[in-house]
Amino acid sequence: MPTTPRHKKTKRVTRSISFSLPTLPFPLASFVHPLRSSASQWLIVPALLTVAFLFRWAVGLGPYSGMGAPPMHGDFEAQRHWIELTTHLPIKEWYWHDLEWWGLDYPPLTAYHSWLLGLIGNYINKTWFQLYDSRGMDDDQLKTFMRFTAILSEYLTYIPAIVIFARVYGKQAGLSAYDRAIALGAILLQPGLILVDHGHFQYNSVMLGFAFLALDCFITDHILWGSFFFVLSLCFKQMALYYAPVVFAYLLGLCVFPRLDIRRLFCLGLVVVGTFSIMLAPLVLFGGVEQIGQCLFRVFPFARGLWEDKVANFWCATNVVIKYKKVFTPETLQRASLAMTLVGILPTCIILFLNPQKRLLPLGLSTCAWSFFLFSFQVHEKSILLPLLPATLLLAGSLSGDTISWVTWMNNVAMFSMWPLLRRDGLALQYAVMMLFYAWLMGTFHNLPQDLPSKAVHLLSYAAILGLHLAEIVVGKLERYPDLWVVGNVVVCFGCYLLAWAWLQKRMWTESLRGKSKAE
Amino acid sequence: MLDSLHPTLTEAAITSVAFKLLLFPAYKSTDFEVHRNWLAITHSLPVKQWYYEKTSEWTLDYPPFFAAFEWVLSQVAQFFDPEMLKVENLNYASPQTVFFQRLSVITTELVLVYALHKLVASAPKGAQRSVAHAIALSLLLSPGLLIIDHIHFQYNGFMYGILLLSLLLARSPSTRLGSGLLFATLLCFKHIYLYLAPAYFVFLLRAYCLGPSFDLRHFNPDIRFVNCLKLGTGILGIFGAALGPFAYWGQLPQLAARLFPFSRGLCHAYWAPNVWAIYSFVDRVLIYVAPRLGLAVDTSALNSVTRGLVGDTAFAVLPEITPRMTFALTLLFQILPLVKLFAKPTFDSFIGAVTLCGYASFLFGWHVHEKAILLVIFPFSLLALKDRRYFSAFRPLAVAGHVSLFPLLFTAPEFPIKTIYTVVWLVVFLTTFDKLVPMSPSGRRFLLDRPSTLFIVVSIPLIAYTSLVHGVVFGDRYEFLPLMFTSSYSAVGVVGSWVGFCWLYFMA
Repeated sequence: MPTTPRHKKTKRVTRSISFSLPTLPFPLASFVHPLRSSASQWLIVPALLTVAFLFRWAVGLGPYSGMGAPPMHGDFEAQRHWIELTTHLPIKEWYWHDLEWWGLDYPPLTAYHSWLLGLIGNYINKTWFQLYDSRGMDDDQLKTFMRFTAILSEYLTYIPAIVIFARVYGKQAGLSAYDRAIALGAILLQPGLILVDHGHFQYNSVMLGFAFLALDCFITDHILWGSFFFVLSLCFKQMALYYAPVVFAYLLGLCVFPRLDIRRLFCLGLVVVGTFSIMLAPLVLFGGVEQIGQCLFRVFPFARGLWEDKVANFWCATNVVIKYKKVFTPETLQRASLAMTLVGILPTCIILFLNPQKRLLPLGLSTCAWSFFLFSFQVHEKSILLPLLPATLLLAGSLSGDTISWVTWMNNVAMFSMWPLLRRDGLALQYAVMMLFYAWLMGTFHNLPQDLPSKAVHLLSYAAILGLHLAEIVVGKLERYPDLWVVGNVVVCFGCYLLAWAWLQKRMWTESLRGKSKAE
Repeated sequence: MLDSLHPTLTEAAITSVAFKLLLFPAYKSTDFEVHRNWLAITHSLPVKQWYYEKTSEWTLDYPPFFAAFEWVLSQVAQFFDPEMLKVENLNYASPQTVFFQRLSVITTELVLVYALHKLVASAPKGAQRSVAHAIALSLLLSPGLLIIDHIHFQYNGFMYGILLLSLLLARSPSTRLGSGLLFATLLCFKHIYLYLAPAYFVFLLRAYCLGPSFDLRHFNPDIRFVNCLKLGTGILGIFGAALGPFAYWGQLPQLAARLFPFSRGLCHAYWAPNVWAIYSFVDRVLIYVAPRLGLAVDTSALNSVTRGLVGDTAFAVLPEITPRMTFALTLLFQILPLVKLFAKPTFDSFIGAVTLCGYASFLFGWHVHEKAILLVIFPFSLLALKDRRYFSAFRPLAVAGHVSLFPLLFTAPEFPIKTIYTVVWLVVFLTTFDKLVPMSPSGRRFLLDRPSTLFIVVSIPLIAYTSLVHGVVFGDRYEFLPLMFTSSYSAVGVVGSWVGFCWLYFMA
């Protein structure tokens, strides 16, 4: 085509969208590929966010925990009940009201969040949240509203946090814009959180969102803002305590090395205490000081057992051999689990204290949370999200074959570990689709690790997962061992988690050394 | 290498299947029960009774091949849940039934994937293949099919696959016979494709049955008798296979009555975005203006203003429209492009004529359903990236055609899916197309460039109004307003793109 250079239109001739390139390592990269050139890059993040939204919403079309399951229903009813409770009762009754029916047992920010959602909900339809009258309500409109609140909350907290993280952390690690977009896609479509929050129904993404906003602040050196957000995370769901030791060690490390910085320490303390005070202030102002005691009592149920449901941690898995609950007293077990957890988190905390590098934070959060998951008591299967998501964030720092394969493997195993829960919720279809889709998207079978032992571990665990699923379908429930497949699930997943934890610990160690040698 | 185009068709297909599987619990229209009933009829009754059975109000009203297709499905269905195959089990929708029926839509859509694969593979390497690849991806991920087939529930996917295959076969003279026969088969699946038949007839007549030196003025009837014989016997064979048994039993009048129910009204339950939607809209406006102009208002028609949603539209001021008039108009606007096709029987003008036949029947037809817009969008897509002018005519169609499908789904949970999916599809593919489309040969801007951009911009407040603002301001009152706006707006887009495309077609 004859064109004169001064014509503006000549620019058009160079195509900024191209579908052709040598074979890419995995399908997700292939999807981002046509938009990678600078002219269409603006489309990537909005497109990824909408695709992520569509998958979340589509999962949300399915059932939720306790749907049509009287008398107690499930987590959905708990969340709905907290909305009616906070909008209809004065603050001083929040932590006392009818504790037998899903009494409020989350920290105050969850209560405020419920209250806020209640304001919107009551504006739309008052019958959804009537104290006593709406209990156990299974209404399609209500379900849609609740799904909407879960997604809205996520898009206001978790999603911005990971968009920022993928961008900043990726840049710091020297990733190209194309790789950063792939990493963002991989984190956005992580299936575990989607299924728990939008299938089973919970607001974990808010807690994780605040924690990752804190992480964003830490990696951009806004440590005061970071500690503010981290306290918000703790005030939303006590589960964020799984991250607390690492955050504490990191911040303390920053105050001590390279030289002692009392002022910084003091400011941090002030922010933490101040944020907690603001969070508790409404409780105290409108309900009196005794509310704090009741809140703490509700939030930390020390009286409960070592575990409730079968969960792939040390206690539940080794219980196959040693019947802990028969041999030891609850106090001994609590002490033992506390000791083991402390031993588990110690290496991570020491490394981050002595070598407080922001680069190490995702690894630190993951290993620390994993120690809690594996060794502490009262662990739920959903808690695996806490170690899993920071591990997934590693993709934002590296898209090497090794990282992709291990992170994908962890995600696949974690999905499998939630299978008993999701099956109970009637989410078998959503489970199968999201798990297989994500495994395919990340090129699970293309991207096996290079070294033989790792490869063997991955293949064997996939074989075990497949085998257990097939066995469950073909053989069905056995009369003598009704829990056989669940126990198998727990044992396999525990083994895998232990390895994942070890892999992360090792990586933490090598990464911290690498950083040191660079600094020297 | 075909494989080097990313994302590949396979990758896009896997992703879309994953998403469609998640839509299993979504809303489904009565068409779901329609097809379940057909499964039951074909499975449990002898062929003789297929077109007479009327336990359910959703009687079998598709041609015999589709009935046979349902019979094949029912052979698999019995392993999922035999209860769904009982004619008396009205409105039966066990989880297995939903699973099976939804899954059958996804599975049969593989025909479309195959057709799209052929579309890409048949394009010459280089820029043209990139363009074909983009078109194929856009059709594979079409929001139209997502809304109509995978939520609302129908089996359009595989039939549009057959249509595409047939269109592609028409490109080379050696495969034209296959093209014709495939289209005849398609007609025996769903008779809505009769709308496109005139273009096929003229093209096959001119480019297959007659030779290149055919010229009436110089009395040179260059007839290829062998080709005529092949095509004739082929088509007769196919129609014989489909209709023969019923003709033998003397059931053809019954079939005709089922397949062509002429007793329905001009506009469907809700106005498809065609000329009649604009006509009705003008009539509604005139109700308020007419008294001042001294025009007579038919008061009996006023009631239908508030009904708006259901039933036939009666006109208050403007003259009534009869089926005969719509038929004449449709025929007129089909014949015009066909004359040109006869004079210049190239592949591109064939596709253009198919598109225009679709347009004419959609815009002027009697009792047109909004779903029929796919009859225009699919063939037009093949030409959309011919050059920038075609793309300008395509853009309003893509927007209007898909937006007009929104009222098909009216339940809250499906609302974000239909809107956000469509919007993201439009943004991604219209930008991609915009980057890929070659310059127009004249180099100048096309007359539709600016209006079509303006039209697209207007869709934003429209979607916002119909989906949110109206509900907040009026609640449940004036329900017909958003529908009327949607169909009038879409009608403007479809008519506009038709005018633009006609211009290009006749000037080419």
